[in-house]
Amino acid sequence: MSDLLSMVFTADFLGSVIRMSTPILFVALAALVGRKADVLCIAYEGIMLFAAFGGVVGSAYTGTVTGGLLLGILLGMFLIGIFAYFVLYLHTRPLLIGLALNILGSAGTVFGLYILTGSKANSTRLGSLTFPEVHIPLIKDIPVLGTVLSGHNVLTYVAFLSIIIVQIFIYRTGLGLRIRSVGESPEAASSLGIDVNKTKFIALLISGVLASMGGIFLSMAYLPYFTRDMTAGRGFIGIAAESLGGGKPLLTGIWILIFGAADAVGNLAQSFRLPSQFAQMAPYLTTLIGLVLISVVRERKKVNR
Amino acid sequence: MKIKFGQDRVLTSQEIGRRFSILRTALALLLAMGIAILLIFLVSNNPFRDINSLLLGPLSSSNRISQMVNKWIPLLFTGTAVCLFFSVGQINLAAEGAFFAGAFTSTLVAIIGGIPPGLHFILCALAGGVAGAIVCGLPGIMYTKFNVLTVVSSLMINYVVLYLGLFIITNVVRDPAAGYEASYRFQNTARLAELIPGTNVHSGLIIAVLIVVFGYLLLHKSNFGLQMRTIGANSSFARYSGMPVARVIVLSQLLGGFIAGLGGTTEVLGLYNRFGYTGLTNHGWDGIMLAVLARNNPKYIPLAALFLAYLRTSADVLNLTSNVPSEVINIIQAIIISFIAAERFLAGWEYRTIVRNTEKAMSLKEGVANE
Repeated sequence: MSDLLSMVFTADFLGSVIRMSTPILFVALAALVGRKADVLCIAYEGIMLFAAFGGVVGSAYTGTVTGGLLLGILLGMFLIGIFAYFVLYLHTRPLLIGLALNILGSAGTVFGLYILTGSKANSTRLGSLTFPEVHIPLIKDIPVLGTVLSGHNVLTYVAFLSIIIVQIFIYRTGLGLRIRSVGESPEAASSLGIDVNKTKFIALLISGVLASMGGIFLSMAYLPYFTRDMTAGRGFIGIAAESLGGGKPLLTGIWILIFGAADAVGNLAQSFRLPSQFAQMAPYLTTLIGLVLISVVRERKKVNR
Repeated sequence: MKIKFGQDRVLTSQEIGRRFSILRTALALLLAMGIAILLIFLVSNNPFRDINSLLLGPLSSSNRISQMVNKWIPLLFTGTAVCLFFSVGQINLAAEGAFFAGAFTSTLVAIIGGIPPGLHFILCALAGGVAGAIVCGLPGIMYTKFNVLTVVSSLMINYVVLYLGLFIITNVVRDPAAGYEASYRFQNTARLAELIPGTNVHSGLIIAVLIVVFGYLLLHKSNFGLQMRTIGANSSFARYSGMPVARVIVLSQLLGGFIAGLGGTTEVLGLYNRFGYTGLTNHGWDGIMLAVLARNNPKYIPLAALFLAYLRTSADVLNLTSNVPSEVINIIQAIIISFIAAERFLAGWEYRTIVRNTEKAMSLKEGVANE
């Protein structure tokens, strides 16, 4: 057990926490923007898969990372665009269209993969590109901190920067204010001349871009290729993390690091003969306990007031 | 408002609404089939044969028909379970976990020897049902006690249950002689008998039909069901009129969970001789789709489930006989759900028809008054 503890506090471990947190962070921020517009989208699994697939195909056929990024985001936005149109204009229940799009995301990418490569499992045959790692000058030479903070994929830095960007976007810009107003009180917003559906649509598209980045990270950084259903529930964990963070970007980021740590501890524990199933269970169990604890704390605060 | 006037019978708004919902369904089916045929032409080396198996494959032999019935059975359980969850307004997605929990918990009972037949299955069913009830009850309790969002907690619980189940199967009751990751063999006393000799259809069908009937009677013919639907429609109203809202919510989640768990039990004991799942089975997600298509009324679950079972059997046929990836079926499924669920799809046309009919009705009424 003391071995386990000593391994937890190594630089490599902290580095892996940051790496594993990246895709979930993107989705959680996506869910946060959606929540501000008061739309619960559970389609992030499908959106991430589309984006991950688009990234691989785009980079393989254009030969550039940018091509992958663009096609990935485009496909992700296409899917959330369908979601937004059905929810806002055709009055479809978000849960249902989200469910349908997750099915479409999984089946559509496997179908596309089969057409392009003849394989239903992965895209290794396409020879797609990956995003580079960034070694930050000066910081990389600091002994421990360097290993923790430097040498991550460029998308990881984008993810952590996005916390601040989303914070500023939601609380400091005109569009952010409009999104919050249509989310909190659509009637009031509409009486002020804000087009409620249009604003929600824009919010969802932004949310789609963030989620797509998470998907692209999976197939162009975390792994160098696409595998079927590679999101493995991360879209759902992102929603849960956002819910733990209570709609606050910074708090959400902290929760995601806790998740990442639970995930990484689980992986480590496997080398100490703890059954792998408990390792895989760790992030979900942490969420459940976290949800209860947080709501108990919130209720206490309400009572004290 | 219903006006019957000789030959000029004017449709009421409700009737028009109903016709349009049928039209929406038909158009969704047509659109989905169109896209499916397009996709098949894109990849198939024998498109006409494959389109034929897509449309008629499940009916091509008695073997396939019984296969379809066996796919139908578990959907009746999870569909009914989700109807109960959604009727009280809880978006509980844990039917998936409850089905899995029911399957592995009843496995633990099914491998014990020396219990007389009949009693053995009942014990398995109780174990599976209670496990399912716990899985789906937890999100309900977390919502009523701690105000935790049911969607989120139930999603997380599914994965906790999955890994707990896999742990128990691979570490406690794994049979090394099986040759793959599976439990010890079920005792014959626990397994469900064939319903029709010579086919694979198992007697879980009877339980499934009873469950659907029970679900319908509970929701639409009982006092408890009325409370459930009132809470689902307007929980503040239900609270002010003195209904025990929290208790009804938790009880309905427990009941639905029991049904989903029982579904898991009948599935493994009806079809297999060991527990061999290595992941979640998707029956719970299917149940969600069915409940929504059936508008939370168990009465329509059998029809919706039959349709889904038919599609799934088509997928199996395609898998066996062609080079078309069976994912085509899932794409079709996604398109169909989207359009059936799109309440405002064709709304403009529907609205105009209603207005025109009402005008006609008014003028007829005026005609009567003038006479």
